[in-house]
Amino acid sequence: MAKREKTKKVHKNNLVDQSVYDAYKDAIPEDQIWDYQVEGLQKPHIRKPFENAKAKKIAVVVTLVIAIGLSIFFSFWILHNDPFKYTVLDDGSTELTRFSNPGDLLELRVDYVVSEVKSNTWFEKNDKGENEKHVEYELVPDETTPVAAIHEYAFNCDEKIRVIEIGKDVTYIDEKAFYSCYALREIRVDEDNPNYKDIDGVLFTKDGETLICYPIDHDAYLRERFNWHVLNEKGEEIQPWPTGDWKTKGLDKYNDYYTREYEDQVNTYVVPSTVKRIAPLAFNYSELFRLYLPEGLERLETMAIFRNWHIERVDTYTGEYKGDEPLDEKFIPATENVKYSLPDSLAYIGSDCFNSAIEMDYIYIPENVTFIGHHAFWGAARKEDGRLFGLYEIHLARSEEAFKEVECGPSWKGEYDNGLFPKTSSVIYGETRLPLPEAETPEPDTAPAE
Amino acid sequence: MAKVNMEKVKAFAGDIRQHWSKPAEGRYVPYREYKDIFIAVGSNYAGSKMLEYLWFGASCYLMMYHYKLPYLTYAIIGLINMPLNYVWTMIGWLINDNLGFLEKKKERILYGLYFGLIVVGLTLIIAPVSLLFNQNGAFVTFMNGLEGVNCDSAFKILGTHILWNGWAGARNIFWRKKLLPKFGRYKYSLYCDVIPKCIMVIVLGWLPIYAIDDVVERVWKANLAFAVYCIFGFGNSLEACAQNISPNTHERVLVRTYPIKLSHLAHSIMAIVLPVIVGFLPGKWEDINLYRWVLPITFCTFALLTMVFAGRVKERIPQPPLEKKVQINFWDGMFGVMRNKYKWVQNVVYLLDSLGNGMLPFATILYLYTMRLYGLTYSLIVALVSFAGTPPDFFTPYFMKRFSYKQIMIFYQLSRAAGNAMIVGALLFLNGNPTLCGIVCVVVLILMEMTKTVPTSVGHDMDIRINDYQMYLSGERLESFSGVFGWFTGPITSFVGLIIPLLLLAHGFNSNWDVLYVDDSRLWIITIPIIIDIIGYLLMTIPYIFWDYDDDKQNKVMAVLRRREEVTLANEMREVDVNG
Repeated sequence: MAKREKTKKVHKNNLVDQSVYDAYKDAIPEDQIWDYQVEGLQKPHIRKPFENAKAKKIAVVVTLVIAIGLSIFFSFWILHNDPFKYTVLDDGSTELTRFSNPGDLLELRVDYVVSEVKSNTWFEKNDKGENEKHVEYELVPDETTPVAAIHEYAFNCDEKIRVIEIGKDVTYIDEKAFYSCYALREIRVDEDNPNYKDIDGVLFTKDGETLICYPIDHDAYLRERFNWHVLNEKGEEIQPWPTGDWKTKGLDKYNDYYTREYEDQVNTYVVPSTVKRIAPLAFNYSELFRLYLPEGLERLETMAIFRNWHIERVDTYTGEYKGDEPLDEKFIPATENVKYSLPDSLAYIGSDCFNSAIEMDYIYIPENVTFIGHHAFWGAARKEDGRLFGLYEIHLARSEEAFKEVECGPSWKGEYDNGLFPKTSSVIYGETRLPLPEAETPEPDTAPAE
Repeated sequence: MAKVNMEKVKAFAGDIRQHWSKPAEGRYVPYREYKDIFIAVGSNYAGSKMLEYLWFGASCYLMMYHYKLPYLTYAIIGLINMPLNYVWTMIGWLINDNLGFLEKKKERILYGLYFGLIVVGLTLIIAPVSLLFNQNGAFVTFMNGLEGVNCDSAFKILGTHILWNGWAGARNIFWRKKLLPKFGRYKYSLYCDVIPKCIMVIVLGWLPIYAIDDVVERVWKANLAFAVYCIFGFGNSLEACAQNISPNTHERVLVRTYPIKLSHLAHSIMAIVLPVIVGFLPGKWEDINLYRWVLPITFCTFALLTMVFAGRVKERIPQPPLEKKVQINFWDGMFGVMRNKYKWVQNVVYLLDSLGNGMLPFATILYLYTMRLYGLTYSLIVALVSFAGTPPDFFTPYFMKRFSYKQIMIFYQLSRAAGNAMIVGALLFLNGNPTLCGIVCVVVLILMEMTKTVPTSVGHDMDIRINDYQMYLSGERLESFSGVFGWFTGPITSFVGLIIPLLLLAHGFNSNWDVLYVDDSRLWIITIPIIIDIIGYLLMTIPYIFWDYDDDKQNKVMAVLRRREEVTLANEMREVDVNG
């Protein structure tokens, strides 16, 4: 009996609904079940016509048509990208804020405001007999309004543009303007431009002290420059690539297509000796395998060599090099002028600078470095089949005590997988720089310019 | 004290034994069904959460790392589909709110329309329709100027939309009519969708569409593949079913608080295990094997468990038998929902909530880009944050009794505004130190999660009460016709919802998420939308002031619904007797 009472107590809440129902049951006659109005609530309206239904229907339809029309209008209006968006700056000059490729525009000159984009489309049968679409664009410039500046991210994520020409009046280019332009091969600058220049399609400040942008697909330009037309067995043109997993499996890196000569001419870059600073994102996503920095370089800014997954060596050379060798020659510093890893003159390594440089084997941070940004070597080490690869060790010129004076951002060393939790790359203090690994040292193609 | 507690435990255990298969007086759900809810809803929920890794949107990792479609393209596709969507939606309302049971003539017309749409859709996808237009004319030039789309592909995208609607519409009538009488209005779709859904989950990982070089071609083909994938649903139907498991409002809260809440444990475990598995993949979240093996195997396992236990979870909405249900014509549906005062309250809240539309998932950015978490560390933090909301949820019945729904929801909006303001503060003042900034943000996220679960449960209960009230007003729940409010608010939401993507674009966010590694850009890309969202949360307190639908009114509404069911059933029995 007592047990039953306890059970009833547990369920006391259950009976609230039931008691309301019992009280209501008789209050709702059978013939009023669809009309019965609960006090304080609206009356049900079931199986009955609505009053003034016609007027109400018209009102609803008109409202909906206006609402839907406005929705569609606003949405298209906001989303349609004018190919060029400009802003008039405080000093009255004009800035290119955003470029949205009108389709397949491959080359663009930034000099005057573009007032109209005309396109001409036609179809031609290709070798396979398919109708191939061709589009030709004509940009109509307003020659009364020169473009004076290019905004940050103005060309962000364009996947088509290959060549950008900068006019003489463009006096400011944001260093992030060309970020993620995956097809960009060359940036050409008008010789009369007072602030900028290009050296063989790479953008610099006029004094040559800052390298601003190495185009992501610059290797495509170099293939053309050195006349590399590599064909596979089917006779199709291909982009040569090292043997897969050559490093982890101990195979020869070079193969029938990817030769040492190809690597030197296409996937290697020598930064001119005038350069003291490499701008943020300057080498973003490049397909470089080797990069030579000049002794005298002081700053590698934030994300300067960001996500260069294939880069194996970032070395230092001494001597003078202006980047003005003949087009059919490629300058590679002579071995005796090359030091393994970063320049002694370097003082600043920005955040995420070597992010994802997973193929590098050695990094030496010289004495002069006083700042290392957060995540500078993030994602640059890995563990595979129990073996460590990449920058799992960071070699420092400074002693542990002296290194305390260096300003370091959080997680600057990077990590690699090690079981359930990641392991931080180790640091070796008070090191001397290793000599160049002899087996891999190439004979120079050309001697450094005197 | 201990003795009293033991007595309570014993009484509770005795109660479970006594009512394992037969519910207690005044209740509808036996305890055995609690167990079934735990397994079935848990599997359904975990499976549906797995599908969040596979969707056609910018923040899907498959899109982010492999397809790399321009950010604005998703909105453009939405716009191409928008005008016709209004037509399909209206037809869908009529079918859905009549539960698929239409007059014969209407049904034939609709089938004819839907099969016609399939033919038109396929034609637009296959034939080069854009060639019918002047290639140098204004229309083609305009279309070619859209990001990630050109005139050719726009017609294919439109064709995909038409094909999808024809196919989905025909299936909707066919399967509702066939399965709804047996399985109820919420879970019937699982039975017709689960197998094709599993197949599509596997196919999506293996289709190499992301390898197509041309972005325009990649966009329309990805859109087509995901459209086919989306034809088949695997929504959290069993939870919706379990939310309506009893006409007893108290029992509903108990079911929602205990078996449903506990069932989410399966997902919580997966939220820890999955990132650990991902941590072992060489490419982490970018590894294609995640989409080829890990997600399909996990999803198919949960789908199987769901189907094994789904049959035992029942919906118990007091309603007349299907053949006696109120037939809803189009205008009854439209006027019906517009008469419901509480739908207006709810939709003004949704409208204000749209202020945050288009923002990127803050927590994901925090974990992956600010804190650079992965593997087990990532799992543990994600699990910690999501688990933080679980303990307070067990006190939901207490909070519901102690505070009014109005108080709880106003507190919720204010707590969101305060939490987000703290996050903005951390981002602005600690931007130079990502680790410290991340820790502060995680603490705030935990606090926000803890104060979120009770209002979320209350919000669910409000939705169900609004539907009960609609059933009282119109004789049907009119859940589909409620979509008309979205049409009224459409101009504002579409305008406001595009402001954030355009602001993000100006700060460098497009198809490449790596821009979030740039400290300054990340700061703006995160904070601007959050600030707009804070304004939305503050404004959202206003509509709740007009909420006056209390327990007493709800109980009386349920009494009316039960009386209708009782009388119609009695009348049907009488008719059967008379007709022999």
